[in-house]
Order: sequence, then C-alpha cells, then structure tokens
Amino acid sequence: MTIPTARAIVIGGPAREGKPGAWYRRRSTHNSIILNAFLMLGAITMLTPFVWMVLTSLKSPAELAQFPPTFLPEEWVWSNYTEALNAAPFGLYFRNSLIIAVSHTIITILMGAMAGYALARIYFRGREFVFLAFVAMLMIPTYTKIVPQFLMVKFMPLFGGNDIMGQGGTGWLDTWWALIIPGGLSAASIFLFRQFYLSLPKELEEAARVDGLNEFRIFAQIYTPLIKPAIATVGLLTFQESWNNFLWPLLVTRSEDLRVIQVGLAVFQQLDNTQWQYLMAGTTLATVPMVLLFIFAQKYFIQGFTHAGIK
Amino acid sequence: MRVTPRIRSWTGLAAVAGLVVSVAACSSETASEDTDATAGGDSSAAASEISGTISLLTPIFEGTPGQELLEDELLPQFYEMYPDVTVEVDYTTYGNLNEKLTTAVASGLVPDVMMMGVGWIEGFADKGVLADLAPLGLTEDGLKEVYTDSIVEAGMWDGDVYAVPIMLDTRFGVARMDILEEAGYTEPPSSWDELVEIAEATTVRADNGSLDRAGFDMMSLDPRQAFEVMLFSAGGGLFNEDVTEPVFNNEQGVAALELMTDMVNTYEVEDIGFASPDDIVNPLINGRAAMGIAHNNLWTQALEADESALEHMEPFLIEGEVPGMFFGGTLATVSSNSSSPEAATALLEFLSSPDVALAANEQRGNVPALTELLESEYVQSNRFVQFALENLEYAQREGGPSTWLEVRGDFAPAVEAALLEQKTPQESLDDLAALVQDAINR
Amino acid sequence: MSIFERTESPPAPPEKPPTVVTTTRKTRGLSPAERSKRRAGWLMVAPAALHIGIWTLIPVIATFYLSFTDYDVFSSPNWIWFDNYVETFQDPVFVKSIWNTIWYTFWTVPVSMAVAVVVAVALNQGLRLQRFYRTAFFLPQVTATVAIAMVWLWIFNPQYGLLNGILEFFGLPGKAWLVDPDTAMWSVIIVGAWQGIGIKMLIYIAALQNIDNSLYEAASLDGASAVRKFFSITLPMLKPATFFVFIISIIGAFQVFDQIYVLTDGGPANATTMMTYEVYRSAFQEFRMGMAAAQSVVLFAFLLVMTLISRRATREED
Repeated sequence: MTIPTARAIVIGGPAREGKPGAWYRRRSTHNSIILNAFLMLGAITMLTPFVWMVLTSLKSPAELAQFPPTFLPEEWVWSNYTEALNAAPFGLYFRNSLIIAVSHTIITILMGAMAGYALARIYFRGREFVFLAFVAMLMIPTYTKIVPQFLMVKFMPLFGGNDIMGQGGTGWLDTWWALIIPGGLSAASIFLFRQFYLSLPKELEEAARVDGLNEFRIFAQIYTPLIKPAIATVGLLTFQESWNNFLWPLLVTRSEDLRVIQVGLAVFQQLDNTQWQYLMAGTTLATVPMVLLFIFAQKYFIQGFTHAGIK
Repeated sequence: MRVTPRIRSWTGLAAVAGLVVSVAACSSETASEDTDATAGGDSSAAASEISGTISLLTPIFEGTPGQELLEDELLPQFYEMYPDVTVEVDYTTYGNLNEKLTTAVASGLVPDVMMMGVGWIEGFADKGVLADLAPLGLTEDGLKEVYTDSIVEAGMWDGDVYAVPIMLDTRFGVARMDILEEAGYTEPPSSWDELVEIAEATTVRADNGSLDRAGFDMMSLDPRQAFEVMLFSAGGGLFNEDVTEPVFNNEQGVAALELMTDMVNTYEVEDIGFASPDDIVNPLINGRAAMGIAHNNLWTQALEADESALEHMEPFLIEGEVPGMFFGGTLATVSSNSSSPEAATALLEFLSSPDVALAANEQRGNVPALTELLESEYVQSNRFVQFALENLEYAQREGGPSTWLEVRGDFAPAVEAALLEQKTPQESLDDLAALVQDAINR
Repeated sequence: MSIFERTESPPAPPEKPPTVVTTTRKTRGLSPAERSKRRAGWLMVAPAALHIGIWTLIPVIATFYLSFTDYDVFSSPNWIWFDNYVETFQDPVFVKSIWNTIWYTFWTVPVSMAVAVVVAVALNQGLRLQRFYRTAFFLPQVTATVAIAMVWLWIFNPQYGLLNGILEFFGLPGKAWLVDPDTAMWSVIIVGAWQGIGIKMLIYIAALQNIDNSLYEAASLDGASAVRKFFSITLPMLKPATFFVFIISIIGAFQVFDQIYVLTDGGPANATTMMTYEVYRSAFQEFRMGMAAAQSVVLFAFLLVMTLISRRATREED
C-alpha cells in the first residue's frame, strides 16, 4: 500500500544489523514500562493454570480437601510423583508417545512442506480446488470421522490376518501402523506451510531458475531454509497434538506395549473419583517435554529470511 | 425404508471403502453342554473341556494396581480351573467406554466378555449384541438366590438375563452429625419435612448473603442422579411396568422436583453452583455442607482426605413416601457372537464370583453386589458400603427402555431448567417426558 | 493485488536479469520448462493428497453418506433421505447449539486474533524478558485442559471465586458466572478467547520473522510512527498468516468441545451447548451415527460457506 521506499532496499544491504523491530527500542523507556506491565499481567494469567497444576501435584489429599483452598502446599509432598509413576508403566508409555509424536512430526513436515510449497508457488490446474479441498477436510469434527477411520484400520487388507477384501482379521488394530499412519498428516499443516511459502518474494525463484535449479531444488534449497519459523511452528504444534492425543490410541490399541501417556493418565480419573494430586503430578511430567521443546524451538523464531544466507 | 436401487451405488461406494459393516446379528449359538454353574458358582466338571482365546473389555481393574490384581492374582486362579482358555484384556476408562463399545460393535470385533454400566444392558440386548445367559446356565431364579431381586433385574431385558452384576455404585443421604448436633438434632432426618427443617437450621450464610454452608447439598452429583434419588424417595419411578411410557412426570415425580426447586429457591439451603461434580473435594468432607446426597465412595475419599470427618458422617435413606436409594454399577456381559461362549461365560462367572468381586470392589471403594459379602471384612470395615448393602432392598436403578442411553442426557438440562425457574417442575418434566416418549416410539 | 510480489529485488547476480515469464491462468501451449514445473507441482502435492485422500476424505464421504441413513452401529444403515436433517432442525436443542456456536465464534475469534497479533508484535522487539513472555503465553496451549478448567472454575466460583472477590472489593454484587444462564455463555467465551491466544501468537511470531526489517527502516526514514508502521507494514505483510489464523480459528471455534465438556457440560439448561457437543452426544451417548453425521454436515456447510466468503475477500493469487 503505502511503502514506496521498500522497493529501493536491497536484501543483505549493510543497514541490516539491528534485530527485527529495532525501531521500537528507540522509543521512550516510558512506553517500555507500560508494555512490560501489560505483558507481565498477561503472562501471569497465562501462567496461573500451569502453576496451579504444579502446586496441586505437591499437595496431600488432606490439604486438597481444605477450605478455603491453600495456594502454596503446606507440606511439599514430592512422593506424589513417585506414587503417580507407579500407577502405570509410564516409562513405556512415555517411549511410545515419543515414537508416535516424532513420527507424526516428521511425516507432517515432509509431506506438508512439499504440498504447501506446490500449492503456494507452482501454478497447476486444479490447484485452488485442491487447496480448498484440503481445508474442507478440517471441517468435519473428529468425533464423526473417528468411527469410519476405525473401520478403515480394522479392514485394512492383508494386514493382521485380513484377506485382500479386508475380512477375517483385525487389520491394523493394535499395531504401530494404526498409531502412526492415519494421524500422520493434518491438512492444517499443509495450509500453514502454504501461507508461509506464499509470503516469500518471487524474485528468489526466478533467480534460482536462471541458475538452472529444478523445482525440487528450489523448494528444498532456496525456499525451505527461509521458513524455519514455520517449520518450527508446525513441528511444535504437530508434536503437541500427537503427544496429547488420547481417544484414538485408546480405541485402536489393546496391548499394554502400545498404550500412550495420555491413556496412562486417565487412570487417575475414575468414575466419581479423581485422584487430583496424582493426576496433576502425572500431567506435569507429561507437560514438561512440551515446555522444553517450546523453549528449544524458540531459537528458530529469530531467523527470518533477511538473515539467512540466501546463497 | 429399504435401500432403493437408485442409491445402491452410494452404498456400494461406501461398502468398498470398508465403511458399512453389518454387525452379523449372530444366532447366538448356545452351549449344548451346559456347565452346572449357578451364579458365583465354582468350577465344573466340564471345565477342562472348555478352551479358546477370549477377549475382555473392562473399565475396572485399570492402572498398574488393578492390572496386577487381575492378571497376577485373579486370572491365575481362573487358568487353574480352565487351563485351555486364554484371556486377552483390553483396559479402558468409564469415560470412554462408549467410544470403545461403539467402535467395537461397528467393526464387528465385539469383545467376548464386556463390562457395562447399569442402564446400558437394555439397549445392547435389544440390538442383539449380548448373549442370553439362561441357556449358558445363568437363570433369573438362580441369580435371585444370591443377589437382591432389583440387582438381578438390572441385567435383564424382556424377561431374559443378559448380565451379571459385579459392583454397585450407590447414592444415598449422608449427614454430618457434628453439624446436626450443634443445631440440636441427634438423628438424621426421617422424612422430607425433617430434611427441610434440619437443612434450614444448618444452612449458614455470610452477611452479604453468600452461602458458607449448605444445609443439603444436591449439586455434587449429576442433576439426573440427584433427581432420581428424590424421585425414588417420593415413591415414584422412571417408567411404567412394561417400559412403554415415562411416568416420572406424574405426581411423585413433580413432587420430587418441586422439593429440589424449593430447596434452592424457597428454603435456600443451597445455591446453584455452590458445588459441582467436578469439585476437588465433596463439601461434606470439609464441612461446607451439613447433609447431602453422596456416592458410597465418599467414605474412601474421606479416609484419604480427612479421617477425622469419618466419625461424623452418618448415612441415611432419604424418606419421602418410601426410603430412596439409587444404584448404578458395573455388570459383566457376554457377546452374542462370541466364538467360545462357554469360555466367555466361565470368565463372566469367575469375575462375578465372591472373591473376585470383593477384590474389585475393594480397589474402588464400591459396593459388592453379592448379598453374602455383607459379612466380609472389607464390607464390615467400610460403613457406607455396609449401609448400602444392608439397604439394597430399597435401591432402585435408572434405565428401563432400550432407548435409555439416548434420552438420559436430556435429564440434566430439564432438572436445571426447573431449578433455575425457567420452567415449573411440571412443565419441565412434561417436556422431558414428551422427548423420552418420542425416543421410545422411534 | 497483494503486496508480496513487489517487495524485494532478487539476490541473484545483477548481470543476469530474470527472464522467466510469470505464469498466468490463461497460458496455452506451455513451454517444456513450464510443463515440467507443473508436473513437479503435482508430484509434490501427491503424497499429502494421497494421505489426506485416504484417511480424511473417505471418512468425510462416509459422513455425508451416513447422514442420509439411520446408522446406529448395531445394524446396517438404511437410507432415510433427509429425515435426520429434518429431525435435527426441529430439535430446539440443536438449533440452540447452532446459535450458541455462532455467538461463541463471533466473539472468541476476533478478540483472540487481535490480542494475539498485538502480543506477537510486542514480543518481537527483543525485549529482555521476551523468551519468558513467549513461553508464558504459549503455556495454556500445553497445559492440561483439566488444569485450566479447575483454575477457571475457581475464578468463576460464586462463593470464593476471584472474579466475585474483585467485584466485592468495588462493592459490586457477585454472580454464579458459570451456572447463571445469563452469564454462562460469556464466561465460556472469555475462557475460549484466552485459551486461543497462545497458538495464534505463535503463528504470528513465526510470520513476523519473514518480514524484511528494511521495510521498517525505510519507513522510519520517512518518519512513520510505530502505529503507522504496524498498520501499513506489519498487518499487510501478515496477510497470509492472518488468512490461515482466521480460517483455522473459525474451524476451531465451531468445533469447540473440550472446554464446554469440562466447564459447563453444555449447561445450565443447555445454555452453552455447542454443535460439536451435540454431535458427540448423538454419536457416542445415543449411538445415533446417522444423526451425528447429519449434524456434522450442517456444521461443515456453515464452515465451508464462511471459508469461501473469506477466500473471496482475501484472494491473494499470483
């Protein structure tokens, strides 16, 4: 719209040292204090449930029954953690969840980035339709799709004793296939990748093409390194969704060896009776990997294409 | 309507995709060589001839402790009796039993032995998923010798036995005697009038009107179940004798809901939102309620949270026209297309046998269904469980028509609408009854 | 036309000016290069299309098919034409859930998007506590829903809740927020908006990394204010991300379930029931799969129409 000067500036020019948004820091410290105050207030409201979860995980049942409720534990009951861990084979569950979440993340990033790139940067017939179809796939609720998906897994031909028509056996039920393949890719990740590839300038590909790079190399070597923040975002969200998935793993598995961490946590929520201290201890442990992953992923959130070496 | 030729292509398309699965309504091939077992019976002479691999779907015995109990202690006893039977256990949670059963039934992979809740049997039996147990040796008369009649009837549909109870969840009145005594009452209420009187006397409000202590707590359990307890104590029931129409909107039902509404709006012994089933702690435990409708596992909860509260907690039957008590519970069933119904039945009998049922109940603080277990150490040590077992003759259950699961979710909004005075109790129950009637007729 | 095509000149050696012809929709007689490019496009979409085609498209088609049947998982489905649709639109609870869902979406999506974009920009300035803030704002995304629900149940509690405590401090009367039909919906909306901020912020922060800093520097030279830069550079440059966030948020809001399940269970007296909640009840509590499918198709129709409208409005084709 109104940024005529933008054209004139060349990528990689000498003026680019400051961090993104350095323009802000030249403003008065007065504003900075107000900004920090607002952010801190917001951060506290965001942190509260997490803190509550951790504190609850350290209270005794007697203290949880007190009224009015206490904020800090009167007595820090660390044994809640060991007892929670003894309630189910969490080591095994943890490993299973990790395998599934990592698999989903890899599948999603590979397939999603390719599809997103093509939908954003290569014109082909039917592209708009394919894109909208992908988005439309998100519009039917999980609860409706889950029964057909279960049946597809059960009637998977030639697996689990099934014949070519998918009859006779259990198909993919109670196998790693069922845990990894059907949920391996979400249309949302393709959509997100597409939007990020869309926001990159066209000139890069034109130059690369002049250099004789084919389409796959333009995708893999030119554009994809520029959207590291998007890869980190998709990876983080995919991992998290997979890690927190409960219903699907419960439905398609029977063996202990294939159960996941969220299914293990459900032990603490029985009908008419929830063991809060253990539930919160287990949940805290299950959340820690996600928080660490987020902190780790943050380092990919500062590399925009202006900083990445384009060649 | 039958599938017409025009749309058969659609059907074909979906069928190719492996989506349309007709659950083979298996002619339940029943055993010819019956075991001599009655309910809770022990191993029979034919035991060694029974063989096969059977699957068990269970929402109980979960977690490492439950699993160890089942697989390390209980099942070995079963294998001793039936060495040629293998049991594959699928653990689930009550919260997701619906989804587990739905997908199992839809795919035709119905577990040989399934545990279900009270109120589920009717629908599943009606659709042909469950095996009639009488030809397998479990008859109504046989079961009624060892269980209370109403408990046996919870596992029956259309005159046939489809399920055997293992554990019961009961709900009855509980009073904090320390609070009642402070107000000058030495006994729990024995009538609705007394209930209201004591509740009013024990309700405590702050100066600004905010409720500090409820005289009678009805919010800590599902509104449907609270209503059912009151309905039963009013002498009412949910359905007529042959479960063709709802009767909960009759005089007794309206009286029950009116009492609940008055408790909140006239006598003001509890405010809406004062407690909820999601609360960390039941208000009876920390003295935020003087009386309330409670689940029998309140005993186990209090034992963990505040043992000193136990001596003050007195169970009582809420008495209107009759003493009212509600029971739900877990029952074991056998699939109608089980490949080895004898093995499945053997497992079902084993799971409902005294020792196993006792162990399962003890793990959860629940009420064993078998009358003979009243004398067991566990029951004697848990006053609420003992109380429930002693008074089982008054206990009534929910359910009745095969469409019960379809309509039970409509009860809570109807009760809430009355409590909020959006509708009168009569209107609210009439509207609900119309809905339920529609479902029955459908 | 969008801004994305006229931002930068290429980093390529200047002696080789770009020669590739920009593709347009009407191209006939494609060059071999163009043809292989398009083939590459198809090849790159193919794996994802295959996966989605199998694991999502087939269940979606099944949903459409089942919506015209009386499928109850116990017996084979019978074709019943529009009976499910007719019945569900005559069901006052489902109709109410449609209005509730629209109302919920109407408030949560814009509010959480606005807050998220402002927070994302604020957290992209290199503040000293930036990492802490980012982590904090993302935490609700990974915190267990049940823990979040417990805290909000406490905030809204009529007796000892934080909200009533604050009101009391100012001498205002408290309310039973989640169980009063007048306020339950607003309470749920507040929680929904609050919880939606984290993921949107994350996406916006990622998108902000792709904005060339030189745009801001140039604007600074022109003497533009921070607010002006936000509106004339940041927001336009965030358009692709915004389109994504908007569509995904609407889809998410229309399918809200967990929050309702733990906060109100659809109550009081169906005041906060939502479409997905009704779908769940039909499918897994009432075993009426055909009905659940029909209700899902209604939900689908709403979302598709809204997506197509916003696609029109923000068309950013080449």
